[in-house]
Amino acid sequence: MVPGSLKQDTTAQGQPVTSWPTAAVSLGNVAAIAVPLILLALILPAVLNAFWLRALTSSAIFALAAAGVALLYGRLGLVSLAQIALLGVGSWVTLRLAHATGLPFELVLLGGGIAAGLVGLVVGLPALRMRGLYLALITLMAAGGFQVIVGGTGFPDGGPGFLGRVDSAAARQLMARPVIAQSDSAYFRYVLVVAALGFLLVALHRRTRPGRAWALIRKSEACALSAGVNVTLYKTWAFTLAGFLAGIAGGLLAGSVGQLDGRNFPASDSILLFALTVVGGAYSGLGPAITGLLFRAFPSLLTAWNVDGNLAFIVFGAALLHALITAPAGVAGQLSDLVDGLRQRLKRQKEPGQ
Amino acid sequence: MPNLGPFFVTGLAVGAIYALSGVGLVVLYRASGVLNFAYGAIGATGALLAWQLVELGQPELVAWLVGVGLATLLSVGYGRVLAPQLAYRDTVVKAVATLGFALVLLGFTRWYWSDDPRKLVLPTDTMGLSMIGVRVTGTRLIGFSLAVLITIGVALFLNRTRLGLSMRALANNRDLSALLGIRVLHVETWAWLISGVLAGLSGLMLGDLVRLDAIVLTFLVIPAMAAAVVGRLRSLTGTLIGGLLIGVLEAVGTPFQTISPYRSVAPFIVAIIVILWLQRQRVITFAGRE
Repeated sequence: MVPGSLKQDTTAQGQPVTSWPTAAVSLGNVAAIAVPLILLALILPAVLNAFWLRALTSSAIFALAAAGVALLYGRLGLVSLAQIALLGVGSWVTLRLAHATGLPFELVLLGGGIAAGLVGLVVGLPALRMRGLYLALITLMAAGGFQVIVGGTGFPDGGPGFLGRVDSAAARQLMARPVIAQSDSAYFRYVLVVAALGFLLVALHRRTRPGRAWALIRKSEACALSAGVNVTLYKTWAFTLAGFLAGIAGGLLAGSVGQLDGRNFPASDSILLFALTVVGGAYSGLGPAITGLLFRAFPSLLTAWNVDGNLAFIVFGAALLHALITAPAGVAGQLSDLVDGLRQRLKRQKEPGQ
Repeated sequence: MPNLGPFFVTGLAVGAIYALSGVGLVVLYRASGVLNFAYGAIGATGALLAWQLVELGQPELVAWLVGVGLATLLSVGYGRVLAPQLAYRDTVVKAVATLGFALVLLGFTRWYWSDDPRKLVLPTDTMGLSMIGVRVTGTRLIGFSLAVLITIGVALFLNRTRLGLSMRALANNRDLSALLGIRVLHVETWAWLISGVLAGLSGLMLGDLVRLDAIVLTFLVIPAMAAAVVGRLRSLTGTLIGGLLIGVLEAVGTPFQTISPYRSVAPFIVAIIVILWLQRQRVITFAGRE
């Protein structure tokens, strides 16, 4: 592939793909993400109570998992309905590694991420031959199978060693949180930073060679092949990356709760996470963040207002239909349209004479 | 070796309803290109309404008819109002959209009927006869024969009637069929209607045989889909065989201590193996083509 040969290519939303020599992520973009994030990390723990802090920690965790789903759907047009199962894999591996080895949190987290990435790679292998409906079905079946197996084995949870199992919840050992983030508010900041790094990783991929390869594969695999793109490599890479993000999210979840239950990772949640990824918006960085909030903070909001939590499903379902029919870029797309519109109006007001 | 007879019979009965649901899914998928994830939720809503009417003292026959009627109405409603807006999108997008409908129905049923345990009792539960040393209740017998008869009936309908011909034409090529003067929306509406009736019937049966619970019934669409996948989302006979196979595999594991907790993995394993087998020769795919 000649560097820069894809300069004219555009992504799904019509934004030009950055050409090869450009710096991967510009300083301005990093600042645009980092500044509000630091503000959030400083202000939120001070003003929120424990309930909301937990809800937002959880939202950030699932936003990271949603970033993986959005990567596959937004970049490659692939529907993966197994993300929560992969999150489960990452969770368990992190928890077991922590109990068995006592290594620092960061290392076991990485272990969980890598394990889930490998499983993601295996789940993604069929995707080399199929896309569309059958891929969605096979990932759904994999998620269903994972749920049954985890439910059946009960999975080792809080005991010592690699496979220690304790039946009563009270006797379970809790997994240690990172040394620098023992308290709830410190852990919230920790999760925010890790999630931001995960988002950055995705952004980096989008703006470099893999992003361009994915854009071409999405259009036509035959075209991509003839342009010299290694289709197998980049498709597998996308699935591995999505699995890795899910695994890291799972590890963070394990650290947040300290113990896990086999019922935490049902196939229905994988479906819901995918649906909300479409609702939040799969094409931008903001989308998965909104997805995380919808997935965890919105139900908490209903609980706080004493509204029946099942009504959330009605809202989600209607939002999904709305997004698919009229707003393919999701809430994030509508927000950015709104901002663009306002900016245009401001510009016009500034230059009244022209 | 425990006596597997009773489990075999249970499996055949539940499997037959999976097949019945699968047939409903296949008919709709062939005619309209929509793989309906809301199928289970539609059946669940119908079954819960039927239960509610019986509780309110309505005659049972009326309650079931109204239940199936509601399922049909929901199916046709979605097919007429929402599905046409996505007619030219990818198959997978159409399928994902039905997830939205499933979520709406699931949220509504769980909110309106909460999670209290309840039971749907069909009068056929107490009837029954003995076969190969096993007592078979009327519901299981009816479920099994209904599945076989309906599969044959639908196959005859698709092969022998004008409407069936139109449906097969749509399945082959929508645009060409439209050019030839086939009334696409009309034919599709019929497909949604047939599929809705089947969803209502299977909802009632599964509500009786498995459990009357919105979540359980909604997600029973997954084994039904596995059955349809065995039929390559096209063949009705394949779907029938797939449904029965999945039902039996699931049930005969019950008496074995070591397998029992994992027996519900059967539909997933069957579907994964079949999908991988079907796609074994493909190397690359071209965008837009499934």
